[in-house]
Amino acid sequence: MPNCMIEVNGLVKKYGDRVTVNGVSFCVQDGEIFCLLGPNGAGKTTTISILATLLPPDEGQATIGGYDLVRETNLIKPLIGFVPQELALYPTLSAWDNLAFFGRIYGLRGMALKERITAALGLVGLRDRAGDVVRTFSGGMKRRLNIAAGLIHQPRILFLDEPTVGVDPQSRNFIFEHIERLKAEGMTILYTTHYMEEAERLCDRVAIMDEGRILALDTPRGLVGLLGGGVIHVGVAAEAIEDLLPAIRTLPHVRAASAQDCRLKVETGAARPALLELIELCNARDVPILSLEVLEPNLESVFLHLTGKHLRD
Amino acid sequence: MLNQILALAWKDLKIFFKDPGAVALIFLQPFMFIVVMSYALGGLFEPGGGQIQLLAVNQDRGPHAAAILRQLDEMDAFQVETTWEGQPLTRGMAEKLIVEGKQNLALVFPPDFSEVLEQDPAAPERRTTKILVIVDPATSSQFVEPILGTLQGLIERRTYTVMIPRRLDYLFERLAPQTPVEQRETFKAQAQEAMSGGLLGGREPVVTVERTTPAGMQVEKNPDTFQQNVPGYTIYGIFWIVSLLAGSVLEEKREGTFRRLLVAPMNRAVMLAGKLLPYYIINLIQLVIMLGASSLLFGVSLGHSPAGLVAVSLVAAAAATGLGVLVSALTRTEAQVGGLTVLLLLTMSALGGCFVPRFIMPDWLKTMGLITPHAWALDAYQDLLVRGYGLREVLPKVGALAAFAAAFFGIGVWRFRFE
Repeated sequence: MPNCMIEVNGLVKKYGDRVTVNGVSFCVQDGEIFCLLGPNGAGKTTTISILATLLPPDEGQATIGGYDLVRETNLIKPLIGFVPQELALYPTLSAWDNLAFFGRIYGLRGMALKERITAALGLVGLRDRAGDVVRTFSGGMKRRLNIAAGLIHQPRILFLDEPTVGVDPQSRNFIFEHIERLKAEGMTILYTTHYMEEAERLCDRVAIMDEGRILALDTPRGLVGLLGGGVIHVGVAAEAIEDLLPAIRTLPHVRAASAQDCRLKVETGAARPALLELIELCNARDVPILSLEVLEPNLESVFLHLTGKHLRD
Repeated sequence: MLNQILALAWKDLKIFFKDPGAVALIFLQPFMFIVVMSYALGGLFEPGGGQIQLLAVNQDRGPHAAAILRQLDEMDAFQVETTWEGQPLTRGMAEKLIVEGKQNLALVFPPDFSEVLEQDPAAPERRTTKILVIVDPATSSQFVEPILGTLQGLIERRTYTVMIPRRLDYLFERLAPQTPVEQRETFKAQAQEAMSGGLLGGREPVVTVERTTPAGMQVEKNPDTFQQNVPGYTIYGIFWIVSLLAGSVLEEKREGTFRRLLVAPMNRAVMLAGKLLPYYIINLIQLVIMLGASSLLFGVSLGHSPAGLVAVSLVAAAAATGLGVLVSALTRTEAQVGGLTVLLLLTMSALGGCFVPRFIMPDWLKTMGLITPHAWALDAYQDLLVRGYGLREVLPKVGALAAFAAAFFGIGVWRFRFE
């Protein structure tokens, strides 16, 4: 794979009999924002924890910045920044003291440390709250400071594990802008989320994960393209399904049709004309439509298409 | 590496000193124990201080009960009350005061007390009488027994004074009636003085009792309650660092800051060292403040061996911090930290003699106490502060405390989980 900052091959992590990461492989290119998208329990956090050197893999290989994840951990650590899902901050210390502490841990001293703290606080819009105790911050401000703490040593690679959980829309937008700025500066970012809007907005490529596996990996546009113009679910009486399916497959705007959970699942290149054709067909056959659902082509519907589950299930 | 340890330590010190609850737990709590308990128990150690109030109901028709009560009252330890609110004390009043919990002990001298002492030795029947000591059943026998012993001694002395001359007169009459009166009086005086050990006449007693200490101890003055309590409650206080350290480790795990630190280029030994150092420093600050303040405010002697004091303090603090690591390793929740800390610290403090002197414990409990670092630390501090020993004498105890520290650290680090 060309110019992989993070390269993962056949990664496996087990807890007893439970396999939480099951043969995951991908490559994150230099300067790319790569997203692991999936519901809670999909294996995203375990994957990012392994790559951030927090957990040893049971099987598979990975390199970070060209260094082997298992044998060259000490060379990897200075390259990476980690923003955990938790607000990993000291609530009784000020924002400045928190960043100063994490900076010192990374070997920053004196003026260099002060400059980095000032820059990191500026990046997340907290410069005017530098002296305030973190406990007094809003949830969004804490999230932003959480990100700043992961950036204090200017890492080349940043791991962001669900960085917007519990954040209000305004702060979320603020965080998105920071991440976009980091990407513009050339940082490589591995980002986990279960919000498809985040993946669509921020990520160059998205790996859809469920039950420890990557189900699909492409650009957001490429993934959405899997559904073409969308998917229509039509609920009809069970005995009518076998009769309708062959006829539906012959409709001009229908790509494929199948039965799924007592419903007809119709994939189409253009949802609106396909919907009209389906309604006409049902009327002509005198089959009552019991329910109707049109899935616009987005990552949520792609996930539903791939797994039969919603992202927030 | 050193800079990382210092950064970790400085961060935890800042967090500690911003937490008034933690500061109060570590510095104020043991100090308040010292002050309150020392004043409460002041009478146990200080001559003339904290006199025991004794109610006395004197029904005696003669002079001897009054004489005994006067002698009791002249002693430093006792203050005899024969009246209450301006009224002569009766048995009924005394019992009511005990029932109401205002007093816990009263002496009742019977009406015939003097008559019994002065009875005719030739009388065909010997008369006896009783002094009643009315005691609240909740009163410790350790409090009552010395009073009874003192009273018994005074009664015996009074008996010599009154009964010996009469008995000798009787014997002269029966055995040597022709002896001149002058010779009889001289003999009676000499016999009386000899039998009472010289205590009754104007001359110095031939036998006296003097309080002293074993050879090798350099005690400037007899210890008061502060001198006795400061080592015990100081040891009790420094081990509360266990609660803070274990709580802090748990918080780092819960907040995810340990996870963030584990991603940093820092090995786990450095991380652990940086985590422990501030609590060790806090322990040492605590020792300096507790001992220093006790010396400045209450005149507690710090002994003659600064080197011994430093050595004991360093290893005692290490044992306390080590126990903190062990508790951190064994607990997963706040409830577990709280429960295990209280259970361990109170049990160890009690067994180690911080609350109750070990010398009054049964032998098996004394032996059990030796499994606590508290007992060794307390003994070492008492050696230095109370017994006036030096570094050489406390070295075995320093060694024992170092062994406790090593064992706690060893097991704690072995079982420690960063996540």
